[in-house]
Amino acid sequence: MIVVATAIAACQWWPSSPPSWTGDEVAVLKSLWLASLPELSPDPSNAVADEPAAAEFGRKLFFDMRLSANGGISCATCHQAERGFTDGLQKAQAIGTTKRHTPSIVGTAYSPWQFWDGRRDSQWSQALAPLEDPNEHGTNRAQVVALVAGDNDYRASYESLFGKLPDLNDADTFALNTAFANVGKAIAAFERTIMPTTSRFDEYVAAVVDRDADRQSELFSDDEALGLRLFIGAANCTQCHNGPLFTNFEFHNTAVISFPGDVPDKARVSGVIEVLADEFNCFSPYSDDPLRHCSELEFARTGAGLIGAFKTPSLRNLAAPFMHQGQLTTLADVLEHYNNAPDAMIGHNEAKPLGLSKRELRQIEAFLTTLEAPVAESPAATQIESKQAD
Amino acid sequence: MIVPRIARHCLYFCILAAFLPQHAIAHGGVVDEGDLCVIKVNYLRAHFKIYQPGVSGHKQYCEDLPVAAESVFVMEYQHDSLSEMAIDFRIIRDVTGKGRFARIEDVAQIGDLQSATVYYQPAVIEPDVYTINYAFKEEGDFIGIVSAAHPETGKVYEAVFPFEVGFTGLGYWPFFIGLLVVIQLQYLLMSGRLKRWFGRRSPSAMGLVLGLLLFPLASYADDLVVTYTTPDGDPQINRMHSWILHIETDAGVEVEGAKVEVDGGMPKHNHGLPTKPRVTEELGGGDYKLDGVRFHMSGYWEIVVRVTTDSGTSIVTIPLQL
Ligand code: HEC
Ligand code: HEC
Repeated sequence: MIVVATAIAACQWWPSSPPSWTGDEVAVLKSLWLASLPELSPDPSNAVADEPAAAEFGRKLFFDMRLSANGGISCATCHQAERGFTDGLQKAQAIGTTKRHTPSIVGTAYSPWQFWDGRRDSQWSQALAPLEDPNEHGTNRAQVVALVAGDNDYRASYESLFGKLPDLNDADTFALNTAFANVGKAIAAFERTIMPTTSRFDEYVAAVVDRDADRQSELFSDDEALGLRLFIGAANCTQCHNGPLFTNFEFHNTAVISFPGDVPDKARVSGVIEVLADEFNCFSPYSDDPLRHCSELEFARTGAGLIGAFKTPSLRNLAAPFMHQGQLTTLADVLEHYNNAPDAMIGHNEAKPLGLSKRELRQIEAFLTTLEAPVAESPAATQIESKQAD
Repeated sequence: MIVPRIARHCLYFCILAAFLPQHAIAHGGVVDEGDLCVIKVNYLRAHFKIYQPGVSGHKQYCEDLPVAAESVFVMEYQHDSLSEMAIDFRIIRDVTGKGRFARIEDVAQIGDLQSATVYYQPAVIEPDVYTINYAFKEEGDFIGIVSAAHPETGKVYEAVFPFEVGFTGLGYWPFFIGLLVVIQLQYLLMSGRLKRWFGRRSPSAMGLVLGLLLFPLASYADDLVVTYTTPDGDPQINRMHSWILHIETDAGVEVEGAKVEVDGGMPKHNHGLPTKPRVTEELGGGDYKLDGVRFHMSGYWEIVVRVTTDSGTSIVTIPLQL
């Protein structure tokens, strides 16, 4: 009798043993698995998107500090490869301070929208924005094209990919913009090679698929496995952080507190207006797609429902601080935020309070750390590496 | 409790007199409507709230603020026309000497508004929601002045709201408590009579409600059956794809030449579709091509198809488990 009672008490006290996954859960796990990541679809708006030579040219541009007003800023100033292509700061710091936090660019080639508010609709049009932002590179399109024209190596790469550079002395706006857009297209070709790699979580899913219980417990602690079960279940995280990149690339209001000194960020409600008017968007004459196939823009939702809605970030390779202005310092803060789900300062919080215990929050946190992995060198990037080594 | 009737009326009058006029006039700008705080700029309304994020996180205030600190004022428009108006926002130290009873007229009499101003945001057109951030440097009485200029007539509408920073916590509560007591008293005295009143009228009221409910149904067209196929394979989450909608009447007659509009969402999560899908082509034989469909999470979705023909409009909901 006493034994039975103690056994029951113990069951309630101790975490239940690591989950044995139901069929439905296995299906969800597989949907989050990196092995399920489809091949990157072609980008018809960028004719050189998958050209290794363009990626190589783009890589050089990405790290080139001459592309700035003060000669000291490159894309990599903020998107630092060794930090998962972000910078560890709340707001980025270059010539000035940016409005928002630097997101990682790992896997963002999959996203139909770029930036936290999706104000660009391709990676090549995105790359043009920081170059001309006075707080970032602080340069301008004429200077960028002049730099490419004045560097023999760049000039050769450019002309073999895109044809003759315009004569800067009497180039019209269209010719100048086309050359500027081409620089963006080379950078985008490089970014398409920056992909996540297999994490401990992915190995765990492989073990689940193989029904290898020993391997599962070798890979995940009980807390990590229970955290994963909460993540896909009671905590509703996969409502937004779904698919192999742990994001739906959509816009949601999750009521993160405003940044000290700033007003709350309106985010997508303004971003969508900006992308529809962007001079380099998918409808623009600078797109290489003769059909102007722009379903994202054509069917984009607008309106007040998007107030304060940010693009869901990937959860692979998390790096502090978190959220669109780095408002939350630790993962524990993030989980506490979701557990409370406060009313949004502007718009409406789409997430609901979770009512989880401290222990359960810690388990989810433990699970999130299993998504860490070295950042990718995809086949294309490796090719570039070996080519450079030659 | 035995209170002579005349004394009772006196009591109501005194409390109401103490409360109502001051509230209605002095705080003509901002009104606490219980669960919602509203600013009225003439006939234009906006949901109004103030935050002190550095001190109290997501806690909302309606007017008075507990401490001198960074404060974020938010106006979420309830009238679309505010999205087109140039709005400016001024905060002044209360130099009217009227404290929380200051009115628009008192503000108009201030000679040197500039020198009383602690914060000024010049007129801007801010679609959807208007926000400002001001860090109060000292406690005291302040007055907020919001003006909105009509884009066509140029007419300027104003709202004035006095508030206190370093708020002692009493504010209007004594008035509210007084009012609550009165209402409670009133209720107890009247409840018998009220019940009888409702009793007499309920059958006709019921008829009216039913009539209103049934009325719109009468204008609906025939029942339609809407089915769909997905030429690009089963719908996958996070993928933009197309549907072919097939529309026919209950009797199996294909519906052609209809206007077909589509919306939808996840009723359980209370949000819509991530895109705005649209019928781009009528294919004939009751088929319509629907482009721009995307679902961004798995779960239960509903697609609502609104079909308008000469005989009226039908709304058909397609459930979908992803
Ligand atoms: C000063 C730091 C800084 C520099 C320099 C910089 N970025 Fe960024 N990057 C940011 C910030 C901050 C954001 C987010 C801004 C926003 O959403 O409003 C961002 C966003 C992005 C994104 C969008 C990612 C996503 O998930 O939406 C990409 C891609 C990107 N940058 C690539 C580049 C490229 C390419 C360059 C060089 C041409 C560059 N960045 C230069 C700070 C920087
Ligand atoms: C309603 C959609 C939604 C749900 C549900 C949701 N998230 Fe998020 N998540 C977002 C969005 C949007 C952001 C970015 C918000 C911002 O920056 O203001 C985000 C940001 C994050 C970040 C910060 C990432 C970074 O790089 O800054 C983490 C970590 C995170 N979410 C984890 C979770 C966990 C764990 C859960 C479940 C408890 C969860 N999310 C549920 C949409 C969601």
